[in-house]
Amino acid sequence: MTDKLALVWPEIWLFVTTCVVMVVGLSPDLRVRKLCGWISALGLVVAIGAAVPVAHAGGLFPSITPYAKGMIGVVGLMLLPLLAGTVDRDLDAAIESGKATFSALRSNRAEFYAFFLFSLTGLMLTASADDLIWLFLALELTSLPTYIMVTISTRGTRSQEAGVKYFFLGALGAAIFLYGFALIYGATGTTDLAEIAAAFRAQSEAGGLNTIGVAGLAVALIGLCFKIAAVPMHMYAADVYQGAASGVSAMLAFVPKTAGFLAIIMLCGAVGWTHGATHDSLPAPIYILLWVIAAATMFTGNLLAIRQSSVKRILAYSSVAHSGYMLVGVIAGPGSGHGTFWDNGIAAVLFYLLTYGVTNVGTFAVLASIQKPNGEEADDIADIRGLHGTRPHLAGAMLLCVLSLLGMPPLLGFFGKVGLFTSAISAGEIPLVIVLGLNSAIAAFYYLRIARAAYLEPADEHVETRAGPIPQRVFAAVLSASAVVLLLTVAQMLMERSVTASGYHAPHAGMADTPHEALDLTRADD
Amino acid sequence: MTLADTDLHSYLPILILFFAAAGFAVANIVLTFLIGPRRDGARKSVSYESGMNPVGTARKRFNVRFYLIAMVFLVFDVEVVFLYPWATTFGNLDPQSSHAGLWLFRILFFLLTTVVAYLYGYRKGVFRFD
Repeated sequence: MTDKLALVWPEIWLFVTTCVVMVVGLSPDLRVRKLCGWISALGLVVAIGAAVPVAHAGGLFPSITPYAKGMIGVVGLMLLPLLAGTVDRDLDAAIESGKATFSALRSNRAEFYAFFLFSLTGLMLTASADDLIWLFLALELTSLPTYIMVTISTRGTRSQEAGVKYFFLGALGAAIFLYGFALIYGATGTTDLAEIAAAFRAQSEAGGLNTIGVAGLAVALIGLCFKIAAVPMHMYAADVYQGAASGVSAMLAFVPKTAGFLAIIMLCGAVGWTHGATHDSLPAPIYILLWVIAAATMFTGNLLAIRQSSVKRILAYSSVAHSGYMLVGVIAGPGSGHGTFWDNGIAAVLFYLLTYGVTNVGTFAVLASIQKPNGEEADDIADIRGLHGTRPHLAGAMLLCVLSLLGMPPLLGFFGKVGLFTSAISAGEIPLVIVLGLNSAIAAFYYLRIARAAYLEPADEHVETRAGPIPQRVFAAVLSASAVVLLLTVAQMLMERSVTASGYHAPHAGMADTPHEALDLTRADD
Repeated sequence: MTLADTDLHSYLPILILFFAAAGFAVANIVLTFLIGPRRDGARKSVSYESGMNPVGTARKRFNVRFYLIAMVFLVFDVEVVFLYPWATTFGNLDPQSSHAGLWLFRILFFLLTTVVAYLYGYRKGVFRFD
């Protein structure tokens, strides 16, 4: 028990920060309230510091936590400047000009930052989950704050609609994967992931996996498709991303997706990649299910993205497509387990999550930095036309980020995508690799359309855009674009880290009888 | 014991109960429809027969403060729910055990978080009735 406490210190620090932010954000003094962002940043830095040295004592992926929590903290730090000025801007302006006095009930700043940190706490907890109940609670802690963040992110009715839509579909998704968890528990008699893995292993050695267990895994995976915005639960993505403020959309593209992929990796790890008839793969029903979901997600995301005229909707559908790409890595599995980055699908997914998170901040930050005359953020592709002429640094950031999302060498996104390709090839998934390649080509169409609008097309006369009054967002855009280039210098190290993080502790059947001896490493000092 | 090797026959009484319940509900509606007397009229179809006359719209605004107070109550409620199992377990803990301090620290940390919830409520102005 004590070792678990040591594992969740980053989450505890984040939680303490949340408590502080919740109270500080309601101070009547504007200068004190504006400290919220800085306190959140400090909390994230402390959490990263607490996360990196601690590895998991047991479980299926013993070393996943330092990498995953470090990644979550870093992307969280990049999201913070992007989220600046999302809530309370009107209220603060009215107070500064003396038109209004501070009213705690009308202010949303404390809640906004607190929910952001709550969500990241849940995400970090997902990374350290070793139990189905823990996993479920962590996933819900990740998602519940985001529903409210979507709703309060703008003052318009559109974000309210988006929030309600997101909430109801999220509740449906949660119910579905919880039902799957219940079936898995029914089939294996335990909620501990390592013990579930041992039970599945024992069943498969005794002649075949339990049907109810496989059905439970399938149902749970379909429910988790909501979190990663994959087909068949992708419908909400475009409406929600468009309805929310850009900062919150950027967060939605990273936080629930990462939580979903961590959970999917853990569930697939519980059943193992050793079941294929001809080559090592997931058990046939799960394999087929994920294969179909991956292919359908890639095609749906990319083909729908082509037809959009709103940049936010394009990015939303591209986020759907990226989930499909990453599912390829999940299907490929960890390979031989002691190989390199290039044949390890799980390492590829973990690395891809980092590159996607870092890059994605930039695209949304550019949109958030441009403000239309009516005070709304840029959304339509017409709004970024001729951006190069008016604000070259934003156009440059947009270009670098969409090229990285596209996977153009030698940017960061390229190495993420190559990992997915090579791991799928070495796992023998040639048809899937072809689908992946085809979709990368389709994706080029709409990514380059964004870049063309920013660089080659003249600005529309009637669309007058001006720089948003929030310098932090421009900083976030430039930061993300520089990270896309500068992280290349440490890409080798990051890949090695992701290989370490994907270290898969394959279960053996005997573990079901004596799970505690096998797992509880701190038993000696009791 | 897993779901797979459960004897499904042992669930037969539940199935019978399910059909009995459904049958009871359906039978009541059907019988009322068949043998019940029918005396309809304007008087009969008002919302509260022999009660007060409903006046005005149902979409009435009420103070949002009720909602805030309900939330603060919920914090208190959840706190008590967690205190009970902790209190019963803590009594059985060996006083010499090294865990005792940790157990006390845990519940104090938990209580501290509820204090934060109240502090938040106070700053938000939940307790100001004006």
